[in-house]
Amino acid sequence: MTNSRCTKFFALLMVLLMAMFVSVGCSSEKESSGEAKKTDNTSNSDNTSGNTPQKGGTLTIGYAEEPDSLDVQKTGMMIGSIVGSNFGGSLISMHPKTKEFVPNLAESFDISDDGLTLTFKIRPNITFSDGTPLTAKNYKETFDRALDPATGATIIPGQFKQVKEILAPDDSTLIIKLNEPSAPFLVNLSDPGYMQPLSLAAIKKEGDNYGRNPVGVGPFKFKEWKTGQSITLERNNDFKWPAPFFKNQGSAYPDQLVYKFIKDYQTMIAALDSGSIDVAYGIAGKDVDRYENNNKYQVFEMDRQGIGLFLEMNTENEALKDKIVRQAVNTAINKEAIVQAVLNGKGRVAHGPIPASFFGYDPDVEKYDYKYNIDKAIKLLESDGWSKNDKGIMEKDGKELSFNLMILDRWNQPSQMVQAMLKDIGISIKIQALEAGALIEKAASGDFDMTFMGYFGVDPDSLYTFLHSSQINVMNHSRVNNPELDSLLDKGRKTIDLEERKKVYFEAQKLIVDEAYWVPIYSEKQYHVANKRVHGITQAFNGLLFQDSWVSK
Amino acid sequence: MGQFILNRILSGIIVIFGISVFSFLLIHFIPGDPVKIMLGQNATPEAIKQLNENLGLDKPLLVQYTTYITNVLQGDFGTSLKTGRPVITEILDRFPETVKLAAAGIFIAIVIGITLGIIAARFKSSFIDSGVMMLATLGVSIPSFWLAILLIMVFSVKFTWFPIAEGTGLRDLVLPAVTIGVLASTMISRLTRNGMVETLSNDFIRTARAKGLEERIILFRHALRNVLIPVVTLIGLQMAALLGGTVIIEQVFNWPGLGTLAIGAISSRDFPLIQGTVLFMGVVYVMINILIDVIYGIIDPRIDLSAKEAR
Repeated sequence: MTNSRCTKFFALLMVLLMAMFVSVGCSSEKESSGEAKKTDNTSNSDNTSGNTPQKGGTLTIGYAEEPDSLDVQKTGMMIGSIVGSNFGGSLISMHPKTKEFVPNLAESFDISDDGLTLTFKIRPNITFSDGTPLTAKNYKETFDRALDPATGATIIPGQFKQVKEILAPDDSTLIIKLNEPSAPFLVNLSDPGYMQPLSLAAIKKEGDNYGRNPVGVGPFKFKEWKTGQSITLERNNDFKWPAPFFKNQGSAYPDQLVYKFIKDYQTMIAALDSGSIDVAYGIAGKDVDRYENNNKYQVFEMDRQGIGLFLEMNTENEALKDKIVRQAVNTAINKEAIVQAVLNGKGRVAHGPIPASFFGYDPDVEKYDYKYNIDKAIKLLESDGWSKNDKGIMEKDGKELSFNLMILDRWNQPSQMVQAMLKDIGISIKIQALEAGALIEKAASGDFDMTFMGYFGVDPDSLYTFLHSSQINVMNHSRVNNPELDSLLDKGRKTIDLEERKKVYFEAQKLIVDEAYWVPIYSEKQYHVANKRVHGITQAFNGLLFQDSWVSK
Repeated sequence: MGQFILNRILSGIIVIFGISVFSFLLIHFIPGDPVKIMLGQNATPEAIKQLNENLGLDKPLLVQYTTYITNVLQGDFGTSLKTGRPVITEILDRFPETVKLAAAGIFIAIVIGITLGIIAARFKSSFIDSGVMMLATLGVSIPSFWLAILLIMVFSVKFTWFPIAEGTGLRDLVLPAVTIGVLASTMISRLTRNGMVETLSNDFIRTARAKGLEERIILFRHALRNVLIPVVTLIGLQMAALLGGTVIIEQVFNWPGLGTLAIGAISSRDFPLIQGTVLFMGVVYVMINILIDVIYGIIDPRIDLSAKEAR
């Protein structure tokens, strides 16, 4: 008797729980009106036309990672630079639409014809939030500090390798001399996070605590860091030197900018849905439709800057040394199917090692890359002397085509697809999931057959890290040692003339694709979602800018 | 009693010593060169050498351990590799939040657990009893993250009564504390009910009833006190576990406690911080256990602690 009561009670409870779920589900359905899909690819997205910007309020941004330090020279994390960019600025900025460089903290800049001398005139009347005026000398001290090994700077030393000397002949003139022309240098220099001027006085005053109480020249100033929770910045009322492409040429509109660190993705979504945060970085493609169909939210879509997934082959492996085997692997992979299955179609097939969003991308790669064709792949292998044995695996001289594929957990699904696709042409794959540190270490030392990898970048110079022979044992996991490619990658670094530089990378792309060192698979789309109470968000190629933003109360 | 407490503290110290050895050895269990893993592939040989020296990894194990434990005894748990701040600062920043959450959770658990336990025992074998015990079974089998997400979806997203990931104020505390409370209450209610049922069938209760005492007085004055001992043990153990940081619940509610600190430390391979949190959690756990033993004596004077120990 007790039993039947229990069952009834349990059934009732389940019904109640289900009702709860359904009602929650309904509410989000109801909110989605039939508004047209709005995926804003242009720069300014002011959704309430006719509204004038209001001062005040708090803009809250959710981000998965918490910075290690707000000393932008010491932080090794992207979020350190992202938060830092709000209390910083850069000599030059990249226009979000035209992608040209415009002066910012410099009122003008000049590059000598040989590309070796960069001269910047510092804009007058800029002050740090502690009141110190910004001079060329500040800038020189800033960079000197970063280049001093004792500082332990993370990003600048690598990006300043070509710098010969930095001079500040007077308060307003900053001269950077290079050993050799460097095209990526300007891109790097335009980062308002890492490359912002620092007040050495403040650094001295704060000592070890500077990373948790930074000072800068940006539209916001540091207010508070609640460890494990959030960083709060407040408006710098003296700020009147934004980049020229913003509408708002004065101080920022919101009183406060809060970065909230939410590690758990589901919690981030809940925080966005409940209004605890206004902007969420990094929403997955599978969740984006829900926000696009909901007129309370605006969705910002951008291409990943880099290749999100590619397969590296170890060219020192007995079988993978053979270019034809690598080409057969390339021909056997149906990238479109992977994009559909893994990304819900929210991404682009990667045809070559450079994503379509980069400078130097050659659209011709879409014609000359490897098209998915099993028969052709099998024929390639057969022409190379391989034949299927009784287990259905390609074999030559008693050796089978069977490889280990190293992956991270999140690449589980694509790795299984690749495994199945390669099985179709008689290549056997064993998947080995590793923790990130272990995978990178094995990849760097060449202790693998195949591995999945992804990269972020802004410039095709990223290929240098992955394919130049000087990077073997570091990031050149495929252990490519190709003098022709080396010279192209060297040349790409030093060529300032854009047309010529483009050609260099066109050639490099063709060579890399022909040699089939990698199987480039996809570049996923990335999404940031914002509540529509935030107006005037500017979308830049690598993130969101808030100088024109204001919040309705 | 004094002798007993001393003994408990001594054995506690031995356990803590064991934990310290374990947390110290942690760094040596990592396959490959831990310093290389910490610094990443782009590290220069100088940086690797430097960190090796800083961490003392170039010295014999025994020397390393002695240095480590001497530093720890002086309150120096090392420096976080990620933030460059002292490990103890990182831990003490988070610990109060964990205490807050654990205390609130346990409070809710006690209120729900004991109330339901008494009700179930009072109405033994009725549908109320089976209902309550059914709930308890359900509570034990519900995964904590599931309940957490359900509460968030209903009370934060749908009704927006309670914020999510806003801070650590009173309103922020409600949902995570309820999650912990509901889950922890199930064991308490079960234990209370069974204890009460057993006690209520005793002769002295029958005597009390025969005397015509009010049911309320019988339940709370006579029966409950006898049941409390195992319940307090359970609560103590739960509290100790919660103070180690409720990793999943802290993660889901974005609560800045020890659990999220540990997770973050692991994912950023911040070994000194991992070592520090493991040791710290261990010490807390041991200390709470000693405390429970002491509380025994206070609740039930019949337990002669020193005599038990002498046996």
